[in-house]
Amino acid sequence: MTDESSSHPNTLVDHWVAPGDVVLDLTNMANQTLKLGGGLRQECDAIIVTKAGRFKFSKPNKYWVESSQKRYVPCVEDTVLGIVVDSKADNFLVDIKGPTLGFLPVLAFEGGTRRNVPKFEIGTVLYLRVVKANTGMNPELSCTDATGKASEFGPIKDGYMFESSTGLARLLLSRPTCPVLDALGKKLSFEIAVGLNGRVWVNASSPSTVILVANAIMSAEFLSGAQQRILVEKLLQRVQ
Amino acid sequence: MEQRLANIWRMSVNEKKFIENALLSDHRVDGRRPFDYRRLSLKFGSDDGTAEVQLGQTHVMGFVTAQLVQPYRDRPNEGTFSIFTEFSPMADPSFEPGRPGEAAVELGRIIDRGLRESRAVDMESLCVLAGKLVWAIRVDLHILDNGGNLVDAANIAAVAALLTFRRPECSLGGEDTQSVIIHQPEVREPIPLIVHHLPIAVTFAFFDDGEILVIDPTYKEEIIMGGRMTVTMNTNEDVCAIQKPGGQGVKQSEIMRCLRLASQKATDITDKIKKAVEAYDLERAQRKIRRHSSSSAQAACGADIKMSKQVVDVTQKKIDGFKIQSKDPMNQEEVESDTDLENSNTRAPRAMEAEKKDTVALERPNESKLEKPSVEATVDDSHTKEMSASVQQVNQKKSLKDAVKVKSRKKKKVASTMVGE
Repeated sequence: MTDESSSHPNTLVDHWVAPGDVVLDLTNMANQTLKLGGGLRQECDAIIVTKAGRFKFSKPNKYWVESSQKRYVPCVEDTVLGIVVDSKADNFLVDIKGPTLGFLPVLAFEGGTRRNVPKFEIGTVLYLRVVKANTGMNPELSCTDATGKASEFGPIKDGYMFESSTGLARLLLSRPTCPVLDALGKKLSFEIAVGLNGRVWVNASSPSTVILVANAIMSAEFLSGAQQRILVEKLLQRVQ
Repeated sequence: MEQRLANIWRMSVNEKKFIENALLSDHRVDGRRPFDYRRLSLKFGSDDGTAEVQLGQTHVMGFVTAQLVQPYRDRPNEGTFSIFTEFSPMADPSFEPGRPGEAAVELGRIIDRGLRESRAVDMESLCVLAGKLVWAIRVDLHILDNGGNLVDAANIAAVAALLTFRRPECSLGGEDTQSVIIHQPEVREPIPLIVHHLPIAVTFAFFDDGEILVIDPTYKEEIIMGGRMTVTMNTNEDVCAIQKPGGQGVKQSEIMRCLRLASQKATDITDKIKKAVEAYDLERAQRKIRRHSSSSAQAACGADIKMSKQVVDVTQKKIDGFKIQSKDPMNQEEVESDTDLENSNTRAPRAMEAEKKDTVALERPNESKLEKPSVEATVDDSHTKEMSASVQQVNQKKSLKDAVKVKSRKKKKVASTMVGE
């Protein structure tokens, strides 16, 4: 991202922006196609920011604002962790921490037909993909990937799920592996699932490992790489 | 309807099962042991009688106000004391704006029972004119973030706010000596409340048919727990209130065990509150002291050591003298406010000690300023230095007196400036 920002004429890229900031002026970029992501809005000839965060740009023409919040705003192709709230004839109602509940059609499973509708207890954790996220509509979810395969999506058993911010979820999913997960993974064996809506699920053989991993992740959000490693070391020492 | 469904915080089956299983092996999801309390931090506002308590993620603000009202018919010479709770939807989406919910009423009642019915706050000292005018103390508790165990956090906030609260002093006057004069805080020092003991609420949660006992439950544990018990105790091991909601039956031996644990925790928490309040009082006393204008001067670079030592001696003497001088008005004030003598006595010297340190630090820039021309003009001469020190002393004297004797400030100022000139 750094080399892009240096080559890019817009100086605001990778800087902190606040709602109301004008980040792009469209008068001098007339014949270009822009793709706007979350946190940006067009107003006449200007692109203005609607939420606080870091202004990001990805080649060739994608712009968005990256921020950390507790409330999730659904976005197409995000993978999220949801909790089943209710089951209706056609849909499961799933809580994905969004402004409205998500709809999971009963047919949106691998090989799903009217005959074999899965049954979920209320409170089941599901790993899901957001298929539609239109304004004024409940987001539509799916338990299959784009090719119709189940590939990891579906209900999650056991383990412990906790809620954090969307920023932490993105940190955990970033490449290269974030330091806290890297350091934990070298010493302990555990399973983890991260939803972009800020939910994290952890499982391991013993409850103490799960608790340690969960607490390490929760307190790592605002630490630097080196601090994260120190934190993990300290936690491991205390356990041993 | 649907909108409301989306706003409710809910818990997955996995979490419930995990928390229960972990508790079986004495592990709690936030890494605590069953009888560990969360980290407690207290903050005080700029006004008297505000306290912010953070217990882990739980965040509560207490706010105390007083008003002159007519007393109840049956208690003509006692003030009144009431608790109000405010559960903001910002703290938890399940809190609804408008009328206080069941949880809000219960929380208010528990704290009210602990504080008022155990007579922790002296009510008779709040009487101004028997049967006519008494002080009504009102405690507002605002829940800012719900991380579980609101009762304990709110109770600590209420106690801390009461300890730092000060009401304006009143006296009777007028031609018939029946009209009440309320003295402004600038004229007469406001009076703290008389708090006899500090009731501290400690909450226990029961799991697994009362087999597992946990202290200070988090919001996740509160959803799963079978029953809850709040014990309000003070450091004398008096039980001020007990509340046990939830259907879970609890054995007598278990309750006795809870009481023992509660008294231990109450002692710890009381210590923390007292320490925080003491620090606040000290800061408050220091805020009252007016600094000389030179206090804004930057730290000096090169005052020699011998010199600064002299200055320390000088300030020492000065403070001794000052103590004797100030004794009279202070005592008077104590009698007036009839607070415990020890407290204010210990407070005053400590404030002065801090002040002394300050003056030593502050002395240097001034002194170096004064000194500089003399160094330039003559060879390093200790005599001139002493002179400058004495001038300094006079200056300093003014500022210290200035600080304490508010009433006679004007006169003193005139006198000292004359001496300075």
